[in-house]
Amino acid sequence: MLRQEQNNLLTQTGPGTPMGQFFRCSWQPVLLAEELPENDCPPVRVKILSERLLAFRDSEGRLGLIDEFCAHRGVSLWFGRNEEGGLRCPYHGWKYDTNGQCVDVPSEPVESGYCQKIKLKSYPLIEKGGVLWAYLGPPEKRPPEPAWEFATVSERNRFVSKRVQESNWLQAMEGGIDSSHVSFLHRGDLHNDPLFKGAKGNQYNLGDSRPVFEVVESAGGLYIGARRNAESGHYYWRITPWVMPAFTMIAPRGNHSVHGHFWVPIDDENCWTWSFDYHPIRELTPAEVTAMREGKGIHVTYVPGSYRPAANKDNDYMMDRAAQKAGRYYSGVAGIAMQDASLQESMGPVVDRTKENLVSTDNGIIMARHRLMRAAKALAEKGVTPPGVDPEHQKIRSVAIVLPADVPYKEGAKEALIAKPGVAPASV
Amino acid sequence: MSSAAEARFRIDAPNSKPRAIKIIALDPPSERVVKRLAQAAWSQASFFTASAFSGAPRKDESFSMTGWLSDLAGRTTDLINEVDSADLVVMVATAGESACAAAIIGEACSVKRVNTTGLIIGGPGTTDEALSKTLAQLRPWSLMLVIASGEDYIEDMLVALRA
Repeated sequence: MLRQEQNNLLTQTGPGTPMGQFFRCSWQPVLLAEELPENDCPPVRVKILSERLLAFRDSEGRLGLIDEFCAHRGVSLWFGRNEEGGLRCPYHGWKYDTNGQCVDVPSEPVESGYCQKIKLKSYPLIEKGGVLWAYLGPPEKRPPEPAWEFATVSERNRFVSKRVQESNWLQAMEGGIDSSHVSFLHRGDLHNDPLFKGAKGNQYNLGDSRPVFEVVESAGGLYIGARRNAESGHYYWRITPWVMPAFTMIAPRGNHSVHGHFWVPIDDENCWTWSFDYHPIRELTPAEVTAMREGKGIHVTYVPGSYRPAANKDNDYMMDRAAQKAGRYYSGVAGIAMQDASLQESMGPVVDRTKENLVSTDNGIIMARHRLMRAAKALAEKGVTPPGVDPEHQKIRSVAIVLPADVPYKEGAKEALIAKPGVAPASV
Repeated sequence: MSSAAEARFRIDAPNSKPRAIKIIALDPPSERVVKRLAQAAWSQASFFTASAFSGAPRKDESFSMTGWLSDLAGRTTDLINEVDSADLVVMVATAGESACAAAIIGEACSVKRVNTTGLIIGGPGTTDEALSKTLAQLRPWSLMLVIASGEDYIEDMLVALRA
């Protein structure tokens, strides 16, 4: 459980809040690059960390992320005309460049220089790895560009998707580090999902249904190791890294692609779940990409024209009681992503953690909260840069590995936990 | 339930009964930590030390399970009885120190079917070798193992577990 004030601290990420400040220390994924596909394409609304913004790519290909609303009468610039090096409000023609600087106020004489006195708030927006990343923190503390491995490999080695999740970011992220739910909620998918099945590691999963967990602090966050019995004198380890505040990777299976998530707050009751698959040393096959587009693995299918999952709370996530009874889907919901999202959304927009009853296997979650609160406090009170901002913390991998029983996994998998270009992931 | 409006109608009634959590220090540095912790107000936590019992029996050596624990006032207490009345036993060890008492406590928990959590307190200067030594003694007897960089984690963990 958390006390109410602790729950508020961790779940509120708007401007001026401690966790909001935390998220504003690092680059956050805000759009897929495909959402701004060409110069002068339509602008896109972006709501992130409780701020309403607008992204656009101008005539020269420059990216802008600015206050959504015109400084004149508060019209949404989503209706604007993206043309000739800027975004023009259709109401009275005020025009803005990618830095939010007003460059034309048609009703005022050019000689008056009035437009120079108008500037909308803007944030840096960069493209890397098929994703547009925004930095909403103080300009003087702008961090180096994102160094997550999935964003550095060839685009043919990578697939990235996003979906709206109708819950606070923290309960979504906590699902990502709660390794003990996999044996229940996702048990049918190890055999069936084309992006998981067939790996030798699956046999260890099936052969030992009571994993033992070890939680170890890392420089950027945590490693959460799930241990199962392997051949004599050995353990099969699945190691999930969590990097603060909201990045996790799932341990790989065989030669399948590696995958992971970001959970980025839209506001305090909604978040973006970003899902990526990549392989460090090979291209994804057409069959893999097709499966991902069809919502297999950790991806979903959408309500057409949106990033809202086709299975959502308005249709009870397409609950299939017959499949639940037959054991095809443990919860009755199809697909790993929606199995997670449906249950996390069912908790309510911000789950009341004063009512929960955690048990020993929840230590990964307890430790993550502990570290978040400690880092948020150090940032707010002393200006200490939180873990996860340093690019070295981002060069990380999940690991599936068999180790001798007496070896600490942090030691035995030390090299495998670091992302190295051109080196295959440790996977079983 | 999934809207903010509906979430307000979640029934406001207790949904659990208190669980007894026994926290046992395995070595002298951990005993100091546990003693500090014990001064706070806890509803369902009780604190012990096994640090005086550094000489765990060797394999196949016969031993008694009584007398392996002391409360923090130094009174010897019966391990089996304490474990029997616990819902969870937390063993606290310091990286590099001997955690051999974990075998006795873990065995008792195994007999009584009580969950165990091992908590190793490290620090910036903790070496892999020191950690490995303690880990090797705790791992076989911990159903959940946490390696924390500082002692402040224990308090948060106990609060989270409603101790």
